[in-house]
Amino acid sequence: MTEKELFTVVGIRPEPPAPKKKVKRLKGFPWISGILLALILLCCLFAELLMTKEPGYLDLQNFNVAPNGEFLFGTDTLGRDIFSGIWYGGRISLTIGFLATLISTLIAVVYGSVSGIAPGWLDALMMRFTEIFLSIPGLLMVLFLQAILGQANVLSLSVVIGVTGWASIAKVVRTEVRQIRNSEYVVASKCMGGKFPHILRKHLAPNFIASIMFMVVMNVRGAIGSESTLSFMGMGLPLEIISWGSMLSLSEKALLTDSWWIIIIPGAFLVTLLMCLTNIGNYLRKSANRKESNL
Amino acid sequence: MRRNPFVYYGKKALIFLLSVFLLSVTVFYISRLAPGDPLMSYYGERVEKMSVEEKETARGKLGLNEPIYIQYIRWVENAIKGDFGISFKYKQDVMQVIGSRIGSTLILGGTGFVLTFVGALLLGILCAWYEDRWVDRLLCKGGTLLSCIPEFWLSLVLILVFAVTLHLLPGSGAYDVGYKNNVLNRIEHLILPLVIVVLQHLWYYAYMIRNKLLEEIGADYVLLGKSKGLSKRKIMFRHCLRNVLPSYISLMAISVPHVVGGTYIVETVFSYPGIGALSYESARYHDYNLLMVLCMMTGILVIFCNMIGQIINEKLDPRIKATEVVETSEVTEL
Amino acid sequence: MSEILLDVQHLTHVFRLDKHAVIKAVDDVSFQMKKGEILGLVGESGSGKSTVARCIMNVYKPTGGKILYRDIDIGDKAQLRKHRKMLESLRQIIFQDSTSSLNQRMTVADIIAEPMSIHRMRPARGSLRAEAEFQLSYVGMDASYLDKYPTELSGGQRQRVAIARALSMEPELLVADEPIASLDVSIQAQIINLLRHCNREHGCSILFIAHDLSMVEYLCDRVGVMYRGRLVEIAPTAELYANPRHPYTKALLSAIPIPDPIAERSRKRIDFDEVSFDRDGVLTRIAADHFVLMQEEV
Repeated sequence: MTEKELFTVVGIRPEPPAPKKKVKRLKGFPWISGILLALILLCCLFAELLMTKEPGYLDLQNFNVAPNGEFLFGTDTLGRDIFSGIWYGGRISLTIGFLATLISTLIAVVYGSVSGIAPGWLDALMMRFTEIFLSIPGLLMVLFLQAILGQANVLSLSVVIGVTGWASIAKVVRTEVRQIRNSEYVVASKCMGGKFPHILRKHLAPNFIASIMFMVVMNVRGAIGSESTLSFMGMGLPLEIISWGSMLSLSEKALLTDSWWIIIIPGAFLVTLLMCLTNIGNYLRKSANRKESNL
Repeated sequence: MRRNPFVYYGKKALIFLLSVFLLSVTVFYISRLAPGDPLMSYYGERVEKMSVEEKETARGKLGLNEPIYIQYIRWVENAIKGDFGISFKYKQDVMQVIGSRIGSTLILGGTGFVLTFVGALLLGILCAWYEDRWVDRLLCKGGTLLSCIPEFWLSLVLILVFAVTLHLLPGSGAYDVGYKNNVLNRIEHLILPLVIVVLQHLWYYAYMIRNKLLEEIGADYVLLGKSKGLSKRKIMFRHCLRNVLPSYISLMAISVPHVVGGTYIVETVFSYPGIGALSYESARYHDYNLLMVLCMMTGILVIFCNMIGQIINEKLDPRIKATEVVETSEVTEL
Repeated sequence: MSEILLDVQHLTHVFRLDKHAVIKAVDDVSFQMKKGEILGLVGESGSGKSTVARCIMNVYKPTGGKILYRDIDIGDKAQLRKHRKMLESLRQIIFQDSTSSLNQRMTVADIIAEPMSIHRMRPARGSLRAEAEFQLSYVGMDASYLDKYPTELSGGQRQRVAIARALSMEPELLVADEPIASLDVSIQAQIINLLRHCNREHGCSILFIAHDLSMVEYLCDRVGVMYRGRLVEIAPTAELYANPRHPYTKALLSAIPIPDPIAERSRKRIDFDEVSFDRDGVLTRIAADHFVLMQEEV
């Protein structure tokens, strides 16, 4: 047989056309959590349309009123309307959650990438530090920092929560970067002449973004939780700045007067929000894992 | 290459001392440089009425006027002698203040730790055993919900239900007035905070155990065991658990500060007189000497537990040692 | 005699494991490749074949020796900088493990077009996508694969994509680092024929690294044998298979199974005594194009 014939016999045997891909992007998406979260977000965003009262107004005639037709969720010990406060305060809670996460993620990506690219000894040192950082109770650290900084506002609280919450994301970024850095497609890309920015954009970032998305969502959850805890303990936002945490800081007084709605209602909203975020985070983690093991 | 145990532990000790030193310098500087007036905690409201000269002498008396590094050196000198200064707020020796409080925290945190450790192990095994059956699903859902509830709010709800509404359990303090030495009364006061401490941590570790066990169950050696006819119980307890336990124990060692030192929120909500509430106060009122010692205690605990965890990992898990041997043999051969 | 494309002179590469241990992965290796030639490099795992490939691709910086590509010293920084663009498009590499050599988060179209987009080349067929489609059809896959991810392809298909990516730059030198080692035999044959086709039709030179000796015999013009970082023998394929001189080569060749049960039964394996291996020999010419590592005769 000639060369040409040989080639047609066992040469590039054409592959059959690929089967049509089934679009199953959102398999297992937690719809209930997603819709609830969207609802809460929208309501907080358009709080002005929903509020029946001025959220900060101290109605001295109607304090500690149980939920009724006028005050849908009752009023707190200072006479503020809880229904209006929920939407107005939710905005602050969410802002802090997202802002703090943004700060954490930025620190984590920079720190993780540096550690991932650094030589062995520096990497070991940086990771040792991260581990120690991780084993300090996070809220304790926030508590100390905030105590030292004094009176908090939305920005300072976000910064404090942000700079204490980066370690676990940084660890993941570092692992990913280290793994990808030595993988053959990066070597191949370098051989083709890919410079560092190209590799970062095309190879590193898409890979670690997928695996940190879950942690980023969980970080939002953690930050909102921290804000409420801090505000509750009187170390976070002062009473005048309404957030779900600062609304809960009246709980001690509420306990004395048995006003359950002051404790239960903002708390229920808080727990619902955190639950929605958790479910979405878990979904993201699962889908990231599925993509990786889908060989 | 066999490691000399003296060199091994000597190295660890050296790293430990260095970390403690760095920690003390950092805490010292940060707390001194931060805004806020420590005179406030010493003299309280009186500070506002003091003249400038009076303030100066007061600062001089407390040694706050000198450069920070001299203050630091003096602090170290005294600390080595066992003198950590006096608490500005309580006007008492720092160690005395801490000593009077530490017992309560150790009881709360220690009991909580043991219960969490055992409970998480049992729950994890239970979930892995009934993987994807209703027990497992229920526990997983419950655990996720629990992990979403902030500690302080759970405490509030429990107080609301059990103390305020049902009058079953006390909602604050470590004992009722006049019952200081009554053990039963103390236990009664311990129940609610303890429940919170355990619930807060239980799920995280149980879930970890569950997932690690399931990972092991998916491994090929389990398939081999099954094909040999080993019972499920034998596979689970003899094989899977054995592979999971070392990393669990070392994780728990690292988690000691988390659980034992993480009681400050509970202590604050329940007005439980422990170290947690104390450290929160000391940070709030710029009680430097107290803050310093508390930070050092937490830090030392963290670093120490980290090392213990590492050593446990290296000593208990034969797989880690095995890989080391392989690496060294490869190196020497070539 | 056609011109020399690649000239490897006394190439040495040492890996430092820690303070005490070093590994000489490649030790004083010299060979030349002519333009349009397929050179095979065989040897057991850990013998330094891949390290040679990676040195040629500038992935590793050689510890010693020189690599000349068309008289450009690619170990020399100034020369490398000057010719970088040209070198990067003329040399391409294919890896053994197609799972890890393709980024799982990129589509096939993006993967194939990556080198072109790096070099900001103007695609000859209009768009990068059309270019990718053409290359894909060249390796026997149609346009329906363009939007797939590597995880959705089979091993053979992935390796084809990797080859399409390398071929998209129309390389002059293709370094194939065990491209068939993890594939089924039928797929291996297809890939081998594909490589052969590239060589015959486009005159692309191939450095083919493998441990499958029968495939090497079929594909390569010349074969070099490596052992423990040293090149022990290099000769034209027919000459080497008919007349092996180095004891290691003999042992290696005696291990090829014969597809005839009767002959296979009487096949004798020659064992190679590792202790007798003499690292300090010199590549000595014993026939026209046949070099063997041996002790210099005094």
